[in-house]
Amino acid sequence: MRVIGSLDGKSNVCNRILDRSEGDPERSGGCGQCLQPAVQPCLNVEEIRMPTRLKWVALVASTPLLVTACQDAGSDGTASGESPANAPVATTECASKGELTMWERSGGNKQMVDQLVAAWNAKNPDCAIKLTYIPHTEMVGKIAQGIASGEVPDLMGMDLIYAPQFEKAQQLVDLTDRISSWPELETASQGHKTVATMNNRLYGVPLYADVSALFYNKDLFTKAGLDPNKPPTSLAEMREYADKITALGGDVKGYYLPGNCAGCNIFTVGPLMWASGAKIEAAGPGDEPLVGDGVKQVLQFTRDMVKAGNVHPGDRTENGETFHLQFGSGKVGMMGTGNFNITLARQQNPSMKFGIALLPGMTAGSSASFIGGDLVVVPKGSKRVDDAVNVMKFLLSDDVQVEVYAKALNLTTRSDMVDNKYFKAEPLVQDVAKALDVGRTPYTTSFFEQINSPQGPWLKMLQRAYYTNDNLDTVIADAKEAMKSIADQG
Amino acid sequence: MHRSRRDRFIGIAYLTPALVFVLAFTAYPLGRMIWISLNNWSLITPPRYVGLANYQRAFSDHQFWVSLIFTLKYTALITPALIVGGYLLALLTAPNLRLRRYTRTVVFIPVVIGLGVSSLLWYWLFSTDFGLVNRILMDLGLIHEPVLWLGVDADRSNLAISISVIWKVIGFGMVLFVGAIQAIPTEITEASMVDGASYWQRVLRVTLPLTLRTILLVTLVSVIGSLLAFDQFYIMTAGQPQNETATSVFYVYLNSFPYLKLGYGAALSTILAVTILAVTVLQLLLTRRSHS
Repeated sequence: MRVIGSLDGKSNVCNRILDRSEGDPERSGGCGQCLQPAVQPCLNVEEIRMPTRLKWVALVASTPLLVTACQDAGSDGTASGESPANAPVATTECASKGELTMWERSGGNKQMVDQLVAAWNAKNPDCAIKLTYIPHTEMVGKIAQGIASGEVPDLMGMDLIYAPQFEKAQQLVDLTDRISSWPELETASQGHKTVATMNNRLYGVPLYADVSALFYNKDLFTKAGLDPNKPPTSLAEMREYADKITALGGDVKGYYLPGNCAGCNIFTVGPLMWASGAKIEAAGPGDEPLVGDGVKQVLQFTRDMVKAGNVHPGDRTENGETFHLQFGSGKVGMMGTGNFNITLARQQNPSMKFGIALLPGMTAGSSASFIGGDLVVVPKGSKRVDDAVNVMKFLLSDDVQVEVYAKALNLTTRSDMVDNKYFKAEPLVQDVAKALDVGRTPYTTSFFEQINSPQGPWLKMLQRAYYTNDNLDTVIADAKEAMKSIADQG
Repeated sequence: MHRSRRDRFIGIAYLTPALVFVLAFTAYPLGRMIWISLNNWSLITPPRYVGLANYQRAFSDHQFWVSLIFTLKYTALITPALIVGGYLLALLTAPNLRLRRYTRTVVFIPVVIGLGVSSLLWYWLFSTDFGLVNRILMDLGLIHEPVLWLGVDADRSNLAISISVIWKVIGFGMVLFVGAIQAIPTEITEASMVDGASYWQRVLRVTLPLTLRTILLVTLVSVIGSLLAFDQFYIMTAGQPQNETATSVFYVYLNSFPYLKLGYGAALSTILAVTILAVTVLQLLLTRRSHS
């Protein structure tokens, strides 16, 4: 007879003992999971057989040891596996055997995440990742429910803008002492690192990066008498070029504005404001949102674009469902979109020639970009922190950066990996990668409510600016009040 | 005496499964919801007791009232359409002839489709660029450019969503009405015919009064269903434009899950539940009075 029937069974027994010893549900849950060193001896005796009576004697005898170990490891309040003193050196291989569970949001980057996971699984079949996709719009709620019920994966991909919310709630494993000294992190996407950090503690590494840029249709530029190699460098030039392209007639429009999509607009219109010197979101209670002349200037610019007929009327209903298909239609002269659109546009319209420039601001030469994407984080309660850290090490490794990210023409998450053979063969990726240098990521614990929600003040402000004649000062003041109120509620 | 106590015990024993079910799936969740409404809870942090603060906040929340009024407006629009439409269809298809049975089946089919699926279907049918609705209207020469059905104008969105829901739900009322109409003894109908009543006189003086209870049932189901509308608005407009088509339940969902304000969401739910209860009681009282 086995001491403990299975690997999972043994872990559970250990955890139960530890949980009883602690009393505090939060502490005991964390301790039970964190005590990999304490659990480990149990794992090693999996194959040892002994009589039932001896099993119980051994179990009872080992209880004080386990309890002591639990109290020691959990004394700093960290979850299991977090204890840096006991943490093994990170590698790109398995730290232990058994399937790793991972959650990731569904969306346009699924193909790339699948490739990354396939690369890990090919190298580490003993601790293969079992990936579960969760609908993008349900990700926050799903993670929250998982945390509340204690049913969390070993690691997860998280939309980077939501990371501060979970860091603040102390629901992610603090990885500072395990990973902050990695040389790979020095060149990792700054936007990702910013939102992965709270109070100088680091909670994750980049999984993938999305950056926004201005895509322009060279064929339409040529037809409109514009130089296809000279994209606009200011909002005034954008307006001028859009007028000329719209004048071509038919279904062709000079510009594109997704009228019903908050996320698309922070991704593509937000940078126009940043490049014009404005600040958008309230970082926290008491912070002032929508600061700077750039907010009003960009709202006026977009309103003028709509009124001039440079935007297709149907764009008003765009809620993000078909956003990624618009540029590839060949009927849009210029459009703010993301690096993911390079491949999509090629697939949709192989003969279309297009270029990529940085999203400009009011002043010629100013530019900005939204760095979006996902982080890999470890939720509190993960039973496989060591393995999760190794997955992070793997994702940041030179080989994966070039042979998985770059090979599939996805942005590398390390800036020193941009200079690779695959990007050299594809100038458009090099162009879009320049956005990483001017990009930023909003940092707030209430990003969804302030900005990303279809019912939030950000989209309401934009819609009033685009489609009504309301006074822009009033529009901005209303949005400012609503955003402040949300931020003040914490 | 002894026997009476034993009988009572047996009666309670018979009732126990139902009681347990009601306690587990109605009373406990309701109590839990009320408890949550007295707390601020984000799911990722421990709940914090705030008393009635969430209720106070709800009554001063402009969007909550916008949502509630829109929900009542939607209910007022769709309920008569479902009742009158369903009843007319029932009158048309009540006789058990082959073609009428076939018509009943066709009208009823959408009822078995999920509301989410049908909403998605209609979302694309109403699409500005790809939708069949605009295409047909343009081909018929009724419009010259595509209409922006969803998410731009609240009334137009309400109309479009109501059309989709009527298509989906009208068969349910129709089937109940058909059952009620077929249950009317033929002697009564024949007697009124002998008395020289016309078709519409028979409908108004015989059929309608004898199917009043079913009409009440369908009205009640329709009103409650409309007050709880969520899927169709979540999928087809997501509350747009500017939250004008956000229904009460949609607003509850928004606060509870995406915004992670479970306490506030529970308070809104409680207020909505009380509102529905009040509307239902009022409806029952009015009907009972008219019936007596």
